[in-house]
Amino acid sequence: MPPGYHGCYLRIDVSTGRAERVPLADAVLRQYIGGSGLGTRLLLDEGGATADPLSPDAPLVFAFSPLVGTPLTTSAKFAVVSRSPLTERINDALAGSGFALAGKRCGCDAIVIVGRASRLSVLVIDDGEVRLESAEDLRGEACPVTEEKVRSRLGADFRIASIGPAGERGVRYATISHDRRHAGRGGSGAVLGSKNVKAVAVRGTQRCDWADPGALVELSRDVSQRSFGPATAKYRELGTATNLLTLNRFGALPTRNFQRGTFEQAPNLSPAELSARYPRARASCVACTIGCEHLYELNDAGVRVEYESLFALGSLCGVADGGAVLRALQRCDELGIDTISTGGTIAFAMECVERGLLDEPWLAFGSGDAVLHAIDLIGRREGIGRMLAEGSRRAALAIGHDSLAFAPQVKGLEIPGYEPRALQTMALGFAVGARGADHNRSGAYEVDFSDKVDRRHATIDSVRHAIDTEDRSALMDSLILCKFLRGVFTDFHAEAADMLTKVTGWDVTPDELRTTARRIVGAKREFNLMAGWTPKEDTLPERFLTAPLPGDPAAALTRDRLEELVAEYYRQRGWTNS
Amino acid sequence: MHVEFLGIPRERAGVSEVEIDAETLGQALTTLAARFPALRELITAGGLHGSVAANLNGDQFVSDPNTSLAAGDRLLLLSADAGG
Repeated sequence: MPPGYHGCYLRIDVSTGRAERVPLADAVLRQYIGGSGLGTRLLLDEGGATADPLSPDAPLVFAFSPLVGTPLTTSAKFAVVSRSPLTERINDALAGSGFALAGKRCGCDAIVIVGRASRLSVLVIDDGEVRLESAEDLRGEACPVTEEKVRSRLGADFRIASIGPAGERGVRYATISHDRRHAGRGGSGAVLGSKNVKAVAVRGTQRCDWADPGALVELSRDVSQRSFGPATAKYRELGTATNLLTLNRFGALPTRNFQRGTFEQAPNLSPAELSARYPRARASCVACTIGCEHLYELNDAGVRVEYESLFALGSLCGVADGGAVLRALQRCDELGIDTISTGGTIAFAMECVERGLLDEPWLAFGSGDAVLHAIDLIGRREGIGRMLAEGSRRAALAIGHDSLAFAPQVKGLEIPGYEPRALQTMALGFAVGARGADHNRSGAYEVDFSDKVDRRHATIDSVRHAIDTEDRSALMDSLILCKFLRGVFTDFHAEAADMLTKVTGWDVTPDELRTTARRIVGAKREFNLMAGWTPKEDTLPERFLTAPLPGDPAAALTRDRLEELVAEYYRQRGWTNS
Repeated sequence: MHVEFLGIPRERAGVSEVEIDAETLGQALTTLAARFPALRELITAGGLHGSVAANLNGDQFVSDPNTSLAAGDRLLLLSADAGG
């Protein structure tokens, strides 16, 4: 077993409470590293591609990585990997902080959960020993309350990942929450809820050796030092919320369900305006030197604000009241639901109301109260919330009248805050993304905000850039390192190879890591093929392919052009479209 | 010409926009560094720090200091990593 690893995963059947340690071959670890890569491999091996994601047979993987527990900044992260109940394709969602450290100290490189407990339970993993405890007293509790209660019951050194009421009720975009952060996208909270597991509590003492501890500490110190510089200043000083004004200036801020790319009242939602009304504080994950979290005080609690949440519950729903957006965000955190999918699905429903396809006149663009009410209905699965809890694609299929054309999703996953017609390399990244439209698995917006491409006129040359960002994301998500660190590296692959070598003792080269990234992206595709993927899924909703972005005639993307880009993407990947 | 600041460049400049005279991107950056000392961290001899991007009129991203600027141009300086 190489340093940095325990060489096994813990497989737990919550139907029986039985746990076993399953060995992991060195070759598998080297080929898939950890995090998203290792999680995808384990999910394939466990038959996760063909099981109904909400059935007892469906595996749910918590995957750590060789860097977890090292002094490398931002490395305290874990991946949750499963088949998504929202998309029925691969879903890998990442979150940070102490759960990763404590989970790995249980003596395993991953935890695989299958089965369904006979009652709502807390899955306790205490230094590798596994037991189930009743969580009936926690039924309906919000995520932060659940963490607090479980920790007070078990001990302060336990770290907890939990679901909120939405996960218990099978909302298809429910999250798994830990320490105010969420493995947010794709509905992993619904998968855990379907197993009758309210929370996973971990504590451990088993640490891994490192191949070259002295050199690793030295390297870590250097990376940390660089993380204090200009490359991360935006995250540290302003938070991602500042993107809202930038995207708005470029006409790329999704507004009123992608009907426009600018929001006249966007300045109301800027960090400057929000912090003038709601005191702002900063926080960070464990073992992070960036400290990107900006918490705005609301009702004596800090609400973490990120750009994606702000756009989804703000401009996308036409809401300009910063207080209403903060309350909506806080409610999503308590219920344990993905803010992007929540905002996307509500905005879609608002447009349906506007078009006369839904008879819910209260659900109007611009109404913060309507967004809050809709969130509560989703969390309770009551009234229209029953349909909206299914996500925008399923809602569109239920509503009919060609509403799928403007349901803001790819493969069922709601589109993040980047207008595809105004950012066309990102549009390609969205279309081909294995887990659907996602900015964390394809960072192609970076390319659009550079002189490498014309952001409103993607060409064949854009494709290689989209592939590069997708591959780099796969690598960062498998190592695992926070993407906010990406700007500090001058040669990411060389530095990542150096990190991995110092931890594991493997003689890793940059080229090996490039091959590894392609292998991981390929494994996700293999999963999707087994799960029933077809080529017609690699596209965008009709809205984006039939008319230019209102207010910006140059921002036009045709079906023919997107298909040409997708075909070139397959060609460069060496894939066929079947 | 008109310069708009977004993200960290706005934080450093302390204003959201300013008028300057410049015929090239390089001249514009030199002028801005002189007027707003806090921007010097982001403006190097060769152009811009990698964390900052420059754009003309919301259309074209530019990095070559010799890029010509016209009187009516709007130069945008923004944090390059515009994503979440």
